[in-house]
Amino acid sequence: MTSVVRVARSRRTWPMRHCALIVGVLCVATACATGDPDTTADREALSALLRVGEAWARPADSGATGGVYLTIRNADSVGVDLVGITTPFAVSAEVHESMNHEGMAHMMARPALAVPAQDSVVMRPGGLHVMLLELTRALAPGDSVPLTLVFSNGLMLPTTATVRVP
Amino acid sequence: MQGMAVDPPRPMPTFSFTLENGAAFRTAPAPGSPMVLFFGYTHCPDVCPTTLADWKRVAQRLGDRAERVRFVFVSVDPDRDTPAIAARYAQQFDARFVGVSGTPETTFQMMTAFGVAASKDSSTTGSGYLVSHSSQVFLVDPLGRLVALYPFNSGWEALAADLESLL
Repeated sequence: MTSVVRVARSRRTWPMRHCALIVGVLCVATACATGDPDTTADREALSALLRVGEAWARPADSGATGGVYLTIRNADSVGVDLVGITTPFAVSAEVHESMNHEGMAHMMARPALAVPAQDSVVMRPGGLHVMLLELTRALAPGDSVPLTLVFSNGLMLPTTATVRVP
Repeated sequence: MQGMAVDPPRPMPTFSFTLENGAAFRTAPAPGSPMVLFFGYTHCPDVCPTTLADWKRVAQRLGDRAERVRFVFVSVDPDRDTPAIAARYAQQFDARFVGVSGTPETTFQMMTAFGVAASKDSSTTGSGYLVSHSSQVFLVDPLGRLVALYPFNSGWEALAADLESLL
């Protein structure tokens, strides 16, 4: 994980992929030698640029399917992808997008959701959402659902979705 | 009509579903009252709950008059949705909402009558499959005639206004 975060930072500084790789390898070597003193600072720097908020979830029964909506803001100068979500309240969680075409509702999985540089992605009913599969507990209004969002730069951001009736 | 009017209104056949308690439920409006229908599935995390949440707003707008309206959620996924699951799903939004799930034959016949399509998507999720399905809401007048459609996300206010005109 340490090397992933450092490579990501290197990509922002040196856009050439091979340079990033070289720097990443060097960083791994450095981390082994020095005890990795900058890891927390790296994560804090990335966390400051990538924020998750306004997360809410629909009420749902245990064993049922849940839905979560949230907003991701990326203040960084490079884009990043949301590549995974975990929660202890469901067997799995996936990002999906609803689309309506000629009266038919379709859903498409978005395993890598792009969050462009200096832009936001807003999930809302009828569009992007997080699908919680096989809830391991019921979600009642007022409950808090812990979520961890995993990004392509290695950052893992925790957030909490409040259960409410929309 | 503020929804998409069906002109002329189309008389609709009724269908019989077995509820969790074994009682029969016919998809017909109560005497002198309209009926609202939606076809979806309970594993649907977005479009279906958004629609039923809109129904709840409609019911709240109607107040006591909502008691006279039949709000019916019909599962297009009878393989996974038992009558109990469908009923519980609808009642989560409002205790007056009816959720039904029937045999595949009944489901298909009713979908055909309303011009509803549904298909399992080839892309599966981590623990099952998704279903593409027609997403409009149907309004049946007190005479059992289909009188209007409401496309997904077209605003719950139109349905509320049309129901008010029928009550």
